Amino acid sequence: MTMADRVFECRSASVSLRLRDGLRPIIADISLELRRAEVLSIVGPSGTGKTTLLRMLGGLLAPTAGRVLASGKDLSGPPEGVVIVFQDYGNALLQWRSVAANVAFGIERTLPRAECDRRVAEALSMVGLSDRAQDYPWALSGGMQQRVQIARALALQPSVLLMDEPFAALDAMTKAGLQDEILRLRDKTKASFVFITHDIEEAVYLGDRVAVLNGSPGRIEQIVDIDLPYPRNQVTTREMPDFLAYRHRLHKAIEHA
Amino acid sequence: MRKGWLRRINWIGLATPAALLALWELVVRAQIVTYQFFPAPSAIFAGGVQLARDGVLLEDLTHTLLSIAIGWSAAMVIGVSGGLLLGFSPRTRSYALASVDVLRPVPGIAFAPVGLLLFGFSIKTELTIAFLPTLWPILMNTMGGVANVQPRLIDVGRTFRLSRSEIVRRLLLPAALPSIIVGARMGLGLALVMSIVAEIVGNPAGLGYAIVREQQAMNPDSMFACIFLVGFLGVALNAGVVHLTQAVWPSLQNVRPA
Repeated sequence: MTMADRVFECRSASVSLRLRDGLRPIIADISLELRRAEVLSIVGPSGTGKTTLLRMLGGLLAPTAGRVLASGKDLSGPPEGVVIVFQDYGNALLQWRSVAANVAFGIERTLPRAECDRRVAEALSMVGLSDRAQDYPWALSGGMQQRVQIARALALQPSVLLMDEPFAALDAMTKAGLQDEILRLRDKTKASFVFITHDIEEAVYLGDRVAVLNGSPGRIEQIVDIDLPYPRNQVTTREMPDFLAYRHRLHKAIEHA
Repeated sequence: MRKGWLRRINWIGLATPAALLALWELVVRAQIVTYQFFPAPSAIFAGGVQLARDGVLLEDLTHTLLSIAIGWSAAMVIGVSGGLLLGFSPRTRSYALASVDVLRPVPGIAFAPVGLLLFGFSIKTELTIAFLPTLWPILMNTMGGVANVQPRLIDVGRTFRLSRSEIVRRLLLPAALPSIIVGARMGLGLALVMSIVAEIVGNPAGLGYAIVREQQAMNPDSMFACIFLVGFLGVALNAGVVHLTQAVWPSLQNVRPA
């Protein structure tokens, strides 16, 4: 694998947070890389530092030991072309702005008006919300609001989307629709996705690879290559013996920690 | 356009006071209630018209409006900037919030003797009484609005690589704006109330003094007219602020209060 294919790399990165009772290690000795146009799922029980890992990748938290590199360079703050999609869309959207203005948020300072409008329209059509551009976030369902947040990230034409349990608060049907949307967007934009989840099936369904984060402090216990055919299908893929085998293996991996 | 304007009037809301006034008129005229100085609404209206014709009312109104304008503007400048400072900086809060909390329960009227000693019968005394009560809601709502902004918005700003000042201007201030406006409206209401109070006990001018003056002149018609005018003034000022904010920030009416 060449350097150019490696959009992200962690080398024995650890994060300790200063809490009331002193320095507490949250994640330790994380080594992994993210390849171009792949979906890397990170799965693990709650309290293993999944969100901390994502915040570190997004440049919101500096590693207290080890290194994090984006496109071969050490991170100093949020890197260009990398956007986080947060779980709590209600807090992450700008309630005083229309859907279109929310999507424009990341690009309106730097791009000329016409280009900005074009990209907003494009991003909204990618997530199927073109006809809701003038609505306000509170007038949308939870799934639609999360799509607005994804569109806001896409408008930036990022090379990496870091998604922190983005569908955790959504119902099963909405969730399935959005999972397929992620896979479509990956094919269309060639962006890489880091997808944090506590749902093993979701991790397998979406992932080209699944990393298991476990323990306290959280460590990457194993990284599993998911060799399932594309396009994935909510019914048939989930019935494949291989799918069930991956699911079984990951369950075991998490239980036996 | 005209039709829309008519539809916006709350006719039922107007019917209630109309019915109450009619009842009042009735009990006075039918002499069910008889006080020497309890006029019927019609007499009060005539008294108000008389005051207006004499030009006194306009003078009183202008004075009270001036007092409100000065007091509220000063409280807005100091309250919003102080509230932003307290809201953004926990350190400033540790230094200053205890002092604020000691001053806050002191009723504005307690400063009447202070104002009278320092400034005598003047608008300065009036402002001494009205300023602090006007300041508090503006200061506290601005501070609360800023301090309680959802911290996730800071993460959003950072992941989109905004600078610190851009995060403040583009995310934190807009998110705090509804709460700042609530403070501004409460402050305006208090500026009116405290100006009237100050004019009754301190500075002999304006609508507040007009109430006392008409009482002492045994003109209950005019006295009640002045009291009603204060009420209408409050409604008008509030409507003014609401329309102003809607004109400046049209998107605010789409924001649900948190």
